[in-house]
Amino acid sequence: MKKTQQLLALMMLAFSANTFAAEGSGFSGMVASLSSAVDGFFNDYTGWFVSLIFKSVPIGDANFPIIVAWLLLAATIFTVYFGFVQFTRVGLSIDIVKGKYTDPNSKDEGEVSHFQALTTALSGTVGLGNIAGVGAALAIGGPGATFWMILCGLLGMASKFCECTLGVKYRTILPSGVVSGGPMYYLSQGFAEKGLGGLGKVLAVGFALMCILGSFGGGNMFQANQAHAMLTYAFDVPSEYGVITGVVLAALVFSVIVGGMPSIASVTEKIVPWMALLYVGMALVVIVANFDQIGAAFSAIFDGAFTGAGVVGGFIGALIQGLKRATFSNEAGVGSAAIAHSAVKTKEPVTEGLVSLLEPFIDTVVICTMTALVITIAGLNSAPFDGAGLTGVTLTAASFTETAEIFKYLLALAVIMFAFSTMISWSYYGLKAWTYLFGEGSTVELIFKVIFCFFVIVGATIQFGAVIDFSDAAIFAMSIFNIIGLYFLMPVVKQELASFIARVYSGEIKRFD
Amino acid sequence: MNEAGSFDIDFQKNLIKDGPKFLSHTLIIKEHKAYLKPTISAMLFCVVYIVVGLFLISLASYVYYESAKLDLAIFLGGFGIAIGTFGISLIQPFLKNASFDKSTGQFENSSDRNVKLARIVSLQINNKVVLRKQALNYNCFELNMLTKSGRRINIINHNNLPQLTADAKKLADFLQVELSDHCRQITL
Repeated sequence: MKKTQQLLALMMLAFSANTFAAEGSGFSGMVASLSSAVDGFFNDYTGWFVSLIFKSVPIGDANFPIIVAWLLLAATIFTVYFGFVQFTRVGLSIDIVKGKYTDPNSKDEGEVSHFQALTTALSGTVGLGNIAGVGAALAIGGPGATFWMILCGLLGMASKFCECTLGVKYRTILPSGVVSGGPMYYLSQGFAEKGLGGLGKVLAVGFALMCILGSFGGGNMFQANQAHAMLTYAFDVPSEYGVITGVVLAALVFSVIVGGMPSIASVTEKIVPWMALLYVGMALVVIVANFDQIGAAFSAIFDGAFTGAGVVGGFIGALIQGLKRATFSNEAGVGSAAIAHSAVKTKEPVTEGLVSLLEPFIDTVVICTMTALVITIAGLNSAPFDGAGLTGVTLTAASFTETAEIFKYLLALAVIMFAFSTMISWSYYGLKAWTYLFGEGSTVELIFKVIFCFFVIVGATIQFGAVIDFSDAAIFAMSIFNIIGLYFLMPVVKQELASFIARVYSGEIKRFD
Repeated sequence: MNEAGSFDIDFQKNLIKDGPKFLSHTLIIKEHKAYLKPTISAMLFCVVYIVVGLFLISLASYVYYESAKLDLAIFLGGFGIAIGTFGISLIQPFLKNASFDKSTGQFENSSDRNVKLARIVSLQINNKVVLRKQALNYNCFELNMLTKSGRRINIINHNNLPQLTADAKKLADFLQVELSDHCRQITL
């Protein structure tokens, strides 16, 4: 108890107003040197990994990352291969979400409906990618990046359809009775069915490793860091006091993922959709309040998309930023959504795929576009777009605040809740990958959870540089292994879709209006 | 109810949808009384919220006192109150122990009407999978009792089956009632 009191006193001391402005004081200096050391460590030991994942080819004045082309090409191929499923079957998707193919009398106890699954997945997807990610994309790619984000969102719907269908089809019931699914399982089992068990295993292990790194990076450190960045913007809390934000967030994350306390998870699940609504509501207020500027904003978006004025690398530069941030936001092709969707209770894997394809549309086409409109209307993001001025969450927050001062406080609330819920979601993805590699077991799982919580503190404390590059790289690296698998297994998905459609038309699958 | 006035009761149906992913209580029998005692680990996880809440409230006071940053103080204080209150609401069920007292002949818990021990017919164990939307699903188990009027009341709800089974046997012996296992295969 005495130690706890001492720790609390130390933290309070660290937060003292006297030290707020004390640049270069002992505490600030310690945090700065820690940040520098961690950033240096990441630069020295993960720089090669980041360079490898983001290896680029020069196109005009810009360097085009091959990984971005990899994701875009895959989404285009899936779109064509599945007959533009995101456009032709969108009515069916909405009907499934509305429960028109679910017998109202046969609903089993504990069943998660497709609508619940969609809102859950959306609340996991709508988050800092829509706020900080769009801010970063527009700061570097100009307003034109929005157009490419929308395109990426539309094409990404087919990638998500494919991976989520496979996630349910190849899910496994572990010895503990827990249902586990995701790319690790469809890569190993799906490839084994095709007589390529060895390759599947290699891909599954590669994916799991990248998923663990992604869960520590983009799913954790980035979230904690941006949560504190928002506090810094809204309340002038010095960035070096991120350690306090980190400790508080880590304690709450610890209680959820280590404690297994059901109530906090339930509360988070209930609050986050409201936060998403709050965010959309604020964006609508800004857009409606500046209704006369919407035309000009769309003009800037379309002009910027093809001219790339003020963007390093011109329109290619805008395209790169748009595609990168859209992928970071909607996670299509990354494989994480397949883990989340695999726990749904359904006998038809393809129905979950059809439901999931709505996510990139809502997340990227609708919500990211709203954020981009808010930023473009506010006019704080001006050429040259080199990211030297406001960027990330601060650009978005400043743009909202242009309309109403109170928005920065509401945004701070939403950002913290989003960061928290995304960390919980990614701890789940990371844990699934971890248990795939190291097996189930309380000690094995506890090790991952403790490391995860430690990274929350690290993420909130350090100043980003190499770390954010690593966060990005790890999440994008997941797509390398996942998309190879999707190419091999997409015939399975096509067969599932054809079978489901045929049974809908024949009346074997009944419609309940 | 059928024509003969008897009840059809589905013992496999769970009484509580949720449940903790840890051992929350153990059964203690002392002379004429059996009661549920919360485990330390269960209490600790609740205390985390109370500590974090109190810390944020203290921090808010400190920030306001030192720098008069009202907006930050309100933000921190608001979060602190919300988290602390949540912690208190979590810990309350652990503090209100269910008990079976032979001296009074009553079963008492915080949420149900008291039941006379003589009206307890049997105990049942059943299982469920708690579906978490953003976390691992997990198995959880209930120990429920049936009264003569057909009412089912939950006694224990956690995920440690060996401990729950041992406690159920002890309680069945204490109450001199039948114990049955209704765990089933659950397929998602």
